[in-house]
Amino acid sequence: MNFDLSEEQRMLADAVGKLFEAQAEDANVDSHKLWNGYLELGLLGLPFAEEQGGFGGGQEEIMLVMEAYGRTLGTAPYLQSVLMAGRLLALVDGGTASDALSGLLDGSQKYALCLFEPDTRYRWHEPGTKAERSDAGWTLSGEKRAVLNAETDTHLICPATTPEGFGLFLIPPGASGLSLRERPTPDGRIAADIVLDGVEIAEAAAIGDPANNGALVAKIVDGAILACCSEAIGAMEKLLALTVEYLGTRNQFGAPIGSFQVLQHRAADMLIALEQTRSMTIHAISMMDAPPTQRHVAVAAAKALTNRASRFVGSQAIQLHGGMGLASEYPAGRYFQRLTVLENMFGDSNHHLTEMEKGGGLAAAL
Amino acid sequence: MELTFTEGERRFRAEVREYLLSNISENIRQSVYEERPLPREWQVESQQILNRAGYAVPHWPVEWGGRDWSAVKRTILVQEIDQNSVPRPLPFNAALVGPVVAAFGTEEQKRRFLAPVANLDMWFCQGFSEPNAGSDLASLKTSAVREGAHYQVNGQKIWTTAAHKADWIFCLVRTAQCERKQQGISFLLIDLATPGITIRPIPTIDGFHHVNEVYFDDVRVPAENLVGEEGRGWDYAKYLLGQERTSLGNIGFSQRRLDRVRALAKARRGEAGPLIDDPDFRRRLSWAEIELKALEITQMRVVASAGNPAGGADPKTSILKIKGSEILQDAAELLLDTLGPEALTAGFADSLASDDSQGLDAHSSVLSAYFTSRKYSIFGGSNEIQRNILAKAVLGLGSKR
Ligand SMILES: Cc1cc2nc3c(=O)[nH]c(=O)nc-3n(C[C@H](O)[C@H](O)[C@H](O)COP(=O)(O)OP(=O)(O)OC[C@H]3O[C@@H](n4cnc5c(N)ncnc54)[C@H](O)[C@@H]3O)c2cc1C
Repeated sequence: MNFDLSEEQRMLADAVGKLFEAQAEDANVDSHKLWNGYLELGLLGLPFAEEQGGFGGGQEEIMLVMEAYGRTLGTAPYLQSVLMAGRLLALVDGGTASDALSGLLDGSQKYALCLFEPDTRYRWHEPGTKAERSDAGWTLSGEKRAVLNAETDTHLICPATTPEGFGLFLIPPGASGLSLRERPTPDGRIAADIVLDGVEIAEAAAIGDPANNGALVAKIVDGAILACCSEAIGAMEKLLALTVEYLGTRNQFGAPIGSFQVLQHRAADMLIALEQTRSMTIHAISMMDAPPTQRHVAVAAAKALTNRASRFVGSQAIQLHGGMGLASEYPAGRYFQRLTVLENMFGDSNHHLTEMEKGGGLAAAL
Repeated sequence: MELTFTEGERRFRAEVREYLLSNISENIRQSVYEERPLPREWQVESQQILNRAGYAVPHWPVEWGGRDWSAVKRTILVQEIDQNSVPRPLPFNAALVGPVVAAFGTEEQKRRFLAPVANLDMWFCQGFSEPNAGSDLASLKTSAVREGAHYQVNGQKIWTTAAHKADWIFCLVRTAQCERKQQGISFLLIDLATPGITIRPIPTIDGFHHVNEVYFDDVRVPAENLVGEEGRGWDYAKYLLGQERTSLGNIGFSQRRLDRVRALAKARRGEAGPLIDDPDFRRRLSWAEIELKALEITQMRVVASAGNPAGGADPKTSILKIKGSEILQDAAELLLDTLGPEALTAGFADSLASDDSQGLDAHSSVLSAYFTSRKYSIFGGSNEIQRNILAKAVLGLGSKR
């Protein structure tokens, strides 16, 4: 075992850190400029094989990118478009998917994978959305919830139940019968509730194999969950640093509040929660190529722990800042908001503990 | 990064396990699994078997019986020892006094002590704490006054684990009154058979006898038993406490306890169906499993980064101590709760009973494990002291002035 970054990984972490920091400080940045920065640094192709036009990065490299993203409160649709939709497109066969992937890689198109629905909470496996054959191809009807970064120009990948099983359908922006209700999330991003009211799409828009799509999406989702864990780790790291800095500079009772032992111990507990989360995420990353049940148990365990740590570190950072923690202008609150969004994504602790237990627990996954 | 074990590391693990299972007797392993008191001769027998394979003191210098194994391998070794219910090499010998003698002792002291200490032919106990010097260890008062070729030692040590089984004690003693209390402390090896030493048991809430008070009344200790320089004992003590970090997280031990929890909970009824399927119970077990798996990686991160000795103490060491003790305590609570009403009539030990098992059986040992587990967050730097270290040394939070 060896936890040191390789030379290339160090360079990647460095370059990504610099880019994201510059973007975070740039007052005039728009979504186009943001995405262009990602494209120029090679981040759009990072997780794809070289044959597919990518750079062959793995989950470790994604961890480095997402930690930096979390530290700088990134807003670009990297998780959604590249790590979820993009990696799914790379896994399914067929011309439609590979055309879509090229559009993503050259920066001209953005994608979103629409997983969650009103009635199924975090269980995306059996979509209530239905796809039926029509003269032209397929008709889709149903609803999707809280699709991060889905905007009017985003290409959607919609899971839907078909007579053959778990279908995956590519829906172009502006398809008739498609409506998006975009809402701001508490952490400065956009998520959309989507209605599919008899959306007509071509035969070729069905991608993948209904017998196998569910397993592919499961793998993509596990990878995305780990990306969220890494993002949360970056956010917690920065939030703890902000808090420690505040403890050293804010004076009350004639002393820096960081000299009070009760606050010192709280900060120590925040550090412990962060480091344990980092360790568990490293473990889950090392399990990404294990058989699906073992992989999923490790990922679920990592998300459950990340969620608990995020809530603890987030809420205690606010507490230690006093009233300043409540001010939305001050960064601590923004990190807490981001952590809260991440906690909700892909499932709360209860959901992930249940998943872990269904898989026999961590002891069974050794 | 290499986030999984290498082929060589996996082979090493299998080799260790094979050796332990085929050489350490079933009786001994059963007793450790059930956390019953271990007769002295079993501890000795077991350490000698480990020592033959280089497993007792692998972190020592090679010329004194150490092996040139990576810290990751040594961590695997400790985990296997714990997980397979093999008694650990006596920590006072292997982890504490040995490395200090090897680093600061004279050639004569190394020749005299190291081999028997590794082989547990000589049993050491640790005389650091005193009635008024616990967390604030540097305020210790036990005095050693130089008189010709001897030191005259007077004072009292407390909480001395296994002093009643030991042959020798290594002590921090005061040889001079200095401005700073950390100065004027010396590191002395004392033969417990020397006249003037009295050992009194302190029965503990777990029903065991493992700790003692040790009184020194005009005890004459040959000056050649001083380790290193007079007055530098505090530095040596710091060196010693920073030594072997591979076992700090108690990973294998907690794994063993959780295995036992699972085994007991499968065989017992809960509110509806087997206890292991009770949602609340299962949830507590899941959290313990998660924290433990995370700590196992934290443990590996600490030792893997400790590769270069110049690196100094890794601040994450305190995390190992805090989380490791908390998980052991959680596991002990789960064990106790698993027994249900059986716990009350499981029987309880008589800590001063003369028989080796002190009257404990497999059941009552669950209760003992529960009570004794409170110690893990107290000794070796309490969890509050560890949090002070994290806050000050890692996060850089200051004191009042
Ligand atoms: C089972 C057992 C075996 C032991 N074996 C040995 C042995 O073999 N050899 C040996 O030398 N010693 C041994 N010890 C002693 C052990 O190292 C001490 O108990 C420990 O150092 C704590 O000291 P104390 O008991 O005097 O508690 P105190 O130092 O009095 O602490 C009491 C409480 O105050 C807290 N506290 C103290 N200072 C601070 C501070 N600055 N900030 C916040 N909180 C603080 C502590 O965390 C604790 O909660 C053993 C102890 C036990 C329980």
